[in-house]
Amino acid sequence: MLRCASQFVATAKKTVFLSVFFFLAGLFALHGQQPTARMVTDELGRKMTVPDDLKRVVSLAPSITEIIFALGKEDLLKGVSRFSDFPAAAEKLPSVGSYVHLDLEKIVALKPDLCIGIKDGNPIAVVRKLEHLGIPVYAVDPRDLNAVLETIIQLGHLLNANQKAQTIVSDMRTRIERVKSLVATSPNKPRVFFQIGVSPIVSAGTQTYIHELIVMAGGRNLAEGPVPYPRYSREQILGLSPDVMIITSMARGASFERVKKQWSQWPSMPAVRDNRILLLDSNLCDRPTPRLIDGLEQVAEAIHPDLYRKKP
Amino acid sequence: MKAQRPRVLKRIWIISILLLSVLIVTMALGISVGSTGSNIKEALFSLLGLEKADAMLETIIWRIRLPRVFLATLVGAALSLGGLVFQALLRNPLAEPYILGISSGSGIGAIIGILTGMSPFPGVSLAAFAGSMATLLLLLFMTSGKTMLKKNVLLLSGVMVNAFCAAFIMFLISITQDDRLHNIIFWLMGDLSMADLPQVWLLAAVVVPCTILIFCLSNTMNLFLMGKELAQTMGVNTKVVTAILLIATSIMVSATVAACGPIGFVGLVIPHLLRLIIGPDHRVLVPACMLGGGAYVVLCDILARTLPEQGEMPAGVITAMIGAPLFIILLKKSGS
Repeated sequence: MLRCASQFVATAKKTVFLSVFFFLAGLFALHGQQPTARMVTDELGRKMTVPDDLKRVVSLAPSITEIIFALGKEDLLKGVSRFSDFPAAAEKLPSVGSYVHLDLEKIVALKPDLCIGIKDGNPIAVVRKLEHLGIPVYAVDPRDLNAVLETIIQLGHLLNANQKAQTIVSDMRTRIERVKSLVATSPNKPRVFFQIGVSPIVSAGTQTYIHELIVMAGGRNLAEGPVPYPRYSREQILGLSPDVMIITSMARGASFERVKKQWSQWPSMPAVRDNRILLLDSNLCDRPTPRLIDGLEQVAEAIHPDLYRKKP
Repeated sequence: MKAQRPRVLKRIWIISILLLSVLIVTMALGISVGSTGSNIKEALFSLLGLEKADAMLETIIWRIRLPRVFLATLVGAALSLGGLVFQALLRNPLAEPYILGISSGSGIGAIIGILTGMSPFPGVSLAAFAGSMATLLLLLFMTSGKTMLKKNVLLLSGVMVNAFCAAFIMFLISITQDDRLHNIIFWLMGDLSMADLPQVWLLAAVVVPCTILIFCLSNTMNLFLMGKELAQTMGVNTKVVTAILLIATSIMVSATVAACGPIGFVGLVIPHLLRLIIGPDHRVLVPACMLGGGAYVVLCDILARTLPEQGEMPAGVITAMIGAPLFIILLKKSGS
């Protein structure tokens, strides 16, 4: 929604708004009263002015909340979207509704200098409305793992935490390389079925972080293809005969045991025969945050347990 | 008839003023409470221009709550009037734009609009309108020429069209993979939270002329209640009047559906309730339904944003949860 609608942003209204804005910016410059604000361009190429010393930031998605905490800038956060559950301290912050259904009134009441949103998820209507109300919205758009690294750098830049962002990203890179070189030692590429939904059975296609994690961890994603979240019947999965099954369900615990038991009825499936049905926290593989690397390491261990057993 | 006119006028005025005051009170309440709490005194002072609240509250009151309350009022007025017209034309208290599939038809249009990546306005709105008009034309085509059983044929055809549309919407949902699914589902539940003033004016520009047209035809609707033959002998061109009323209602309903998704049961509950209280005269019922329906949806929207502890509910959930049981109670009472 955000993507398609942003193509329509170039309306006459916007042009007028921008020209008035540039005019005012020019006036300020002439007076020599440079307001302590700077022009930034978000990941969608939209320009906005942001005060130099940001004091009040509202995060519009759980992943953004996580990144801001990782950058050590949580003191700026005055509100977060619902389900911002990591780290635990984020849960104590005021909630502004879920990322697809934001509560405008709550956001305005928090008087933010800046909102940070995500292109896939936050509806463009809310973003436009916030901007009409004079609250700039910085949008990030992490399409793949590399883009996640870039997003962390950009947010570090935006929130004056460059140093911290560089540290996080280089740490992530090191860990990625470690996994890559480890799995490179194994000649086989196990067939992985990554189940993210129980009923219906849903997996993840090529355009997802999950696919990237599986491939990077030296596995073969059985659901690869153009459909982002393809559905499967039980029959199809038996036909695919996966070596490894990784299940991330929104509901965990008992539900995982139940799903595992259901699959256990089919001992002919390699994953069942070798007892390689594993649970993974879904937040580690579908949120564009530094924790994706935790997900990567867990997926690698699930796919190549032998490599991890050898190494202490 | 002529001799009754002053009395009818007086009744219209009294009932309208009564319901208008109810509407104004609910609107004031709607502007005073929200997810950040209620501040009735500040909100009222700010509204009346007596005293400025702080800048943040001003923004919330004038640019978030006010458009929302206006939108709710318009939607309520249009939907309950839509219900009233359908009930009069079909002489059946169960008739409603939803039951006849007009709303689902515009729902299909809107969902196709969302899926093909149209802009919310005018793309999705026009798609919704096209959907509802297509459904209406299909209905009229299916039922044309069957004069004897027309009433039931129309109703049953509508039920079937609705069932088909519901299945088609399910189909569209089941093939949708990505984040647009959230948009569709929220839209389907009927959501008023994204209201802004330009959208409200636009909806008003569509709804208000339709309501005026319907009000002008309200006496004709009274004649319809006495039977089509009698209406014809009184000099009413039933076919033309039916067509005008159906089209005006569809325009109105599809505009509201496009603006905020299908909000159910308003067109069923409000006209029925008001008919029980003030009788079957459509000259009184038309303005009463508009005002009462507006107040009802504003009230439901207040509940939608204050009941949940976190976030908001779509208003459509509330209208349905209040509407359906209330309707069953009314039906039982009127039957006994």
